[in-house]
Amino acid sequence: MLKRPERFIIKCAQLHNSYIQSLHTTVCLSSQERLQSFRTNEENPLNHNESNTAQFYKLLESDKAKLFVHGGLPKSFETQAKTFNETCLMIRQPALDVINCMKNIDYNKPAVRFVLYGKKGTGKSLAMAHILHYAFKQDFLIVHVPWVGNWMRRCKEQSNSESKEGYIDINLDAAGWLLHFKTQNAHILSKPKLKTSRDHVWSKRETTPKDSPLLELIEHGIARIKYASETVNAICEEIKILSNDGKCRTIVAIDGYNAFFYRITRVFTVKKEPVLPEKVTLTEGFLNLTKFDWKNGVIIVTVDEIAIAEKDQISHLPRYLLGKQGFEHLDPFVPILVSNYTKKEVLSCLDYYKERKWIQPYPGLENEVEFVSASNPYKLMKICASL
Amino acid sequence: MLSYSRSFEKFLFSNVEKSLPFSIAYSTEVKKEVKEEFRVLNLKNVKRQTQPKRAQKQLEALPPRTNKMPVDQDWGSVWPGPRSFHPASVPLPVRQGYVEKGVAPDKYANAELIKIPNFLHLTPPVIKRQCEALKKFCTPWPKALENDKECEKHFPIEVTSSDYCHSAPTIRNPLARIVTIKFKLSSLNLNERAKDKFLRLVGERYNKETDTVAIVTDRCPLKKQNYDYAMYLLTACYHESWNVEPWEELKSEADMEYYDWSKNASKKSVEALFGKQTEDIPNVKEYSEAVSTLMNEGESEYSVTKYGDSVRKLLGLPDAPKT
Repeated sequence: MLKRPERFIIKCAQLHNSYIQSLHTTVCLSSQERLQSFRTNEENPLNHNESNTAQFYKLLESDKAKLFVHGGLPKSFETQAKTFNETCLMIRQPALDVINCMKNIDYNKPAVRFVLYGKKGTGKSLAMAHILHYAFKQDFLIVHVPWVGNWMRRCKEQSNSESKEGYIDINLDAAGWLLHFKTQNAHILSKPKLKTSRDHVWSKRETTPKDSPLLELIEHGIARIKYASETVNAICEEIKILSNDGKCRTIVAIDGYNAFFYRITRVFTVKKEPVLPEKVTLTEGFLNLTKFDWKNGVIIVTVDEIAIAEKDQISHLPRYLLGKQGFEHLDPFVPILVSNYTKKEVLSCLDYYKERKWIQPYPGLENEVEFVSASNPYKLMKICASL
Repeated sequence: MLSYSRSFEKFLFSNVEKSLPFSIAYSTEVKKEVKEEFRVLNLKNVKRQTQPKRAQKQLEALPPRTNKMPVDQDWGSVWPGPRSFHPASVPLPVRQGYVEKGVAPDKYANAELIKIPNFLHLTPPVIKRQCEALKKFCTPWPKALENDKECEKHFPIEVTSSDYCHSAPTIRNPLARIVTIKFKLSSLNLNERAKDKFLRLVGERYNKETDTVAIVTDRCPLKKQNYDYAMYLLTACYHESWNVEPWEELKSEADMEYYDWSKNASKKSVEALFGKQTEDIPNVKEYSEAVSTLMNEGESEYSVTKYGDSVRKLLGLPDAPKT
């Protein structure tokens, strides 16, 4: 059923590209001019290091098409990228820090958890995108949830779980995620060694036998939306077993992770009663994946104020956002602060906008923009954007 | 018949009596008119000649007592007790107050001097004399109690009460019944649990900064009773805090008033992570301290960073870059 939407989405993306190419505002600059301090030609995140901080690098269209087709980049950033006719990510300290840790992790030890935290609009999701790009280049198996809030607060539909009493399935979202997972890992899933460890029985007639490829499981979930939620949990379980056996190396990246622990969701039962997050079937699988009891994996989550209701957006710190239960679930984790732009980063960002002919330079521009936006990356983008 | 005649006689006589004065009055009025002047009709009420008022005899104020005071007088007998200022008794040219122009007003009729309290009754020779008088009631200071530390050690409880001495119909002052006892919490023999319970029992009577407990009793009418009651309270609180009630054993982690790392999920997960006992894990102490601070002192940018650093050390990850 979702095969058609998939085709539709791809077509849309192609249409957009052609449309933008005919209208884009930028003039193609010679390669020499591009070699300025705000931009690096190093497009492979493997080679990024401290000297590249505050520089922009280009995310190749081919990579983007594999990684972020079904979400992963914030919407406003996506729009800007379309206007600029290229997707450029700034190399910033938090992402470099995580990447550096990932290079040094002993993968035979239990999975390490990283928690990206920071105030609204400081670039947690984009830091995550940078890390994902690195993991993609390193041939990690990517388990990426673009935004948990979409499940807990804006789910498309809900139904009672058939296999588990009292649980709620959000099957359309689950199928959407399966599609996302499949696209991101297309090149790895085709490998023959990724096989299921046990029989998965869906109904009397439908089973996925042992030693069938993981891809088959995913495609079954997409085709039979009724079982999508359970398929997601099954895949999470399989990934854990496969990684433990050393058949693949996995990165778990979950954006807005604290929504799994926020008591008030907008998922409702048939009787219109709000459902606790742990009663949503999908939660189980991802909480299972974020435990430390497996190896060959690294877990990166973000905690974000936006993932919870507005009245509770009091603090941006991880203990508050995760709550007691969430903290105990993740503990010990490495908190990584994503802060506002430094002076250097503001200048670099404005240089990039100038190069894209997005803003008009005038004396005192840098100081004014820095002051008005309070160095907040999102605000800076909004101030420089069109009306 | 006789009675009748008598009554008639009486009647007649009384009639004669009534008519007689009339005739007399008439005759005297004629005589007066002849003697007096013609009276003036005084319609406008013009003042006539008035008698001069007798002049009030001004009382002469006595010269101030200070004029007669000898230089070597005994000041203690002039001013024996606390009293508000009196200019004639104080042989000092004191001035007090403020005027826009000119000098400060002198001591006579000076309300400012009367208002302020004075210590004229507490001059050094008087104090010395009073101390001498009291000396015979005192006992020598114990030699073992040389400094405050020794005193505190041997007499951990400090009892404070007030006596009032004043002239009034009653010599009893209700404020004299109030007794305050103070002691250091460290002087009590309490373990961690008992101390916690003791602090809960005494509540706001405990001062954390000075580590002292102050119990004030004023519910009984007499000082002795209040003192006994304070001692009773101290004893009761002490023994009660050592008592362990059956329901206290039910205290679970959720009831804890502070975060104890060794009793929490954090310890269990770290042990599971390493597959070892806590004691065998390197760098675990710093980590446990960081978690405890994070939980007990609330979350801040600083405590989260500290936590992160300790986790990195625990898991053997590279240090966070310095910004």
